[in-house]
Amino acid sequence: MKQGTLFLIAAVVVATALAALPAVASPFVQSMALTCLMFAGLAVSWSMFSGPTGYLSLASSAFFGLGAYCTAWGLAYLPWPVVVMAGGLAATLFAFLIGLVVLRLRGAYFAVITYGLGELVKHTITHVEKTYAGTVGRVMTDTPSSNVVYWTVLIIALLAVFTYVRFGRSRYGHALRGIGMDEERAATLGVNPMRVKLLGFCLSAWFAGALGAAIAVRWTYIDPNTVFNPFIVFQTVLISMVGGPLTIGGPLVGALVFSLLSEFLRLSLPYLYMILLGVLLIVSVLYLPNGLAGHDWRGTWQKFFKRKKADVQVTEQRHE
Amino acid sequence: MYPISRRMTLQAALAVAGVLALPGYAVAQEPTVKVAYTQSRSGPFAPGAQTTQEPNYLLWADQVNAAGGLNVQGKKRKIELIGVDDRSDMETIVRSYEKFMTTDKVDIVLPPWGTGANFAVAPVANKHGYPMVAPTALSQKLVDMKLPYYFVTLQQPKPMMNALVDMLAANGVKTVTVAYMDDLFGLENIGALEPALQAKGIKILDKKSYPLGVKDLSTMLKGMKTANPDAFVGITYPPDNFLITGQSKEIGFAPKIFYTAVGTAFPIYRERMGKASEGTMGMGSWNPKMSKAAKTYFDAHVALNKREPDRWASAHAWAALEIIQQTVEKVGLDRKAMRDHIAKTEFDTVLGKMKFNGTEEVGVPGMVGQWQNGEFEIVWPPARATAKAVVPKTWN
Repeated sequence: MKQGTLFLIAAVVVATALAALPAVASPFVQSMALTCLMFAGLAVSWSMFSGPTGYLSLASSAFFGLGAYCTAWGLAYLPWPVVVMAGGLAATLFAFLIGLVVLRLRGAYFAVITYGLGELVKHTITHVEKTYAGTVGRVMTDTPSSNVVYWTVLIIALLAVFTYVRFGRSRYGHALRGIGMDEERAATLGVNPMRVKLLGFCLSAWFAGALGAAIAVRWTYIDPNTVFNPFIVFQTVLISMVGGPLTIGGPLVGALVFSLLSEFLRLSLPYLYMILLGVLLIVSVLYLPNGLAGHDWRGTWQKFFKRKKADVQVTEQRHE
Repeated sequence: MYPISRRMTLQAALAVAGVLALPGYAVAQEPTVKVAYTQSRSGPFAPGAQTTQEPNYLLWADQVNAAGGLNVQGKKRKIELIGVDDRSDMETIVRSYEKFMTTDKVDIVLPPWGTGANFAVAPVANKHGYPMVAPTALSQKLVDMKLPYYFVTLQQPKPMMNALVDMLAANGVKTVTVAYMDDLFGLENIGALEPALQAKGIKILDKKSYPLGVKDLSTMLKGMKTANPDAFVGITYPPDNFLITGQSKEIGFAPKIFYTAVGTAFPIYRERMGKASEGTMGMGSWNPKMSKAAKTYFDAHVALNKREPDRWASAHAWAALEIIQQTVEKVGLDRKAMRDHIAKTEFDTVLGKMKFNGTEEVGVPGMVGQWQNGEFEIVWPPARATAKAVVPKTWN
């Protein structure tokens, strides 16, 4: 209870500070924060489903792109909040339809097919646009101001965090974790795995879609190759993995560290940053398998501390 | 080699200090001109950006600084070039330019590579009042946005396709087959090509599109071989050019005119395709034989970057820099004054006279080039031609 209150207070303080950012920070800091928030939102929404179940979904790019296309189609006719909601709903609907089929697969098969579906959506949209609209890319004029985009992304990211926590504690969250540990056993114990997985998958899709819808207006022009960019999902998965998808702190810390670090390295070491980033990722996968947030830092510290002591007092070690 | 003694080092240091001290005094008083840009050094845009655009930025800064600096209304100021990798990522591009314009408050920004990136950056530049002269943006939709601070030096689809069709008609072409890429570039060019062909009474026997990243087009090309057209027109990008040229040769599809669009003018097309490049036509605007200015530019580019510039957009990138340079010399670094000057002035560039009508440059006409004996000759329009078109294309 006490911890919960503390978390709530911290969340309110951080949210207020972030919401007030456009008033005090430079546009660059603001757009940096926007990138962090976008990846935080994506990583949290990804972890919502893939964290507990262990199903490695690569569909985030498809969700993101669908949301972006909803904005491109609807921005001229619908009010901004409706457009963003619709972007999320389109992704949810898509997740529901494909979920019925792909959630029957597991492991590498699931990862590959979710990735393939992203490509399928990309080419479908290309074909539909070309055949019926006579265009492929779309230009968005009269876009909302950068502050509005920022606040929208902030709200979606906060909603994602809130949902992650609430969902994780709910009956369904427990059921999802149960499925991750042993799907057959969970089913024997009365959980309907398909229904629970579908719910988690659809829920996580909404955030990715809404984020795509919100962020797309910053680019003025979108085409399938920009918004169905597989790097969006690769980065999302990396962030979640590096941060650790099993706690809410994981994707958040991961997004913050990853965005700031890659920006810092890009600007200060332009020819080395990719190599450094790669090395860092390898190191974190090898030595932090549970992510930054999930790692047993105390254990590492003790191990390190003890090894030093061990040189002097060998007998002490036996008490452990 | 002599070992470098301490005395020699001292002498050298003193000499350098002495040399620097003389003009250094005068130079130190003038602040540098900060020129910022992003270019793709990694990701899918990198090959294009590193062939056509960034080498020109580096060459320009190098040349201007070697001549004492950028002439700002009579005062020479050194260029401080700030170039960063944008990872071919839209969000990174937008964020970087926001940083240049608001946090760093640089004096001049140069555009990123590619139509998509330009779409993303043009409104940002316009909002913050930074004039931007872009070489690698190709879309009527971008032109139609009518952003007052944004200019494009590259020919748009309509003049390019009109030039192509005029050339086809002049060579007695009656039938064509057309392949195009499934994107905005492909569709806008097709949109310009079809009415132009119709106006000249040239029949399209077959028209096919293909997606980005295609790996095999032999079925499409076999169909076109059966149709047996006078000419083949491909609205293509660099990787597909190799594919289409190579596979056409393999299956023996040998129309007398063979046209591929972007990237045909890249030296790498000639190197990769060898003999098969001979006689291929494509989008181009210039070559070193065109004028003395073009030859000077070509030689300087090869000397600094150790490779040839491409024969289309490279020169448009260079022309964009010339326009900036002439503008700054005339009106200084006041951005509103720069924009007004660019909008209404006729400039002398490596490609000849250039002048803007809104966003679009209207001085340089649409052109067609052709590889002939290792040079990309301009073969259309006659007023700009450096050689006569060789028809039919040689295939072996």
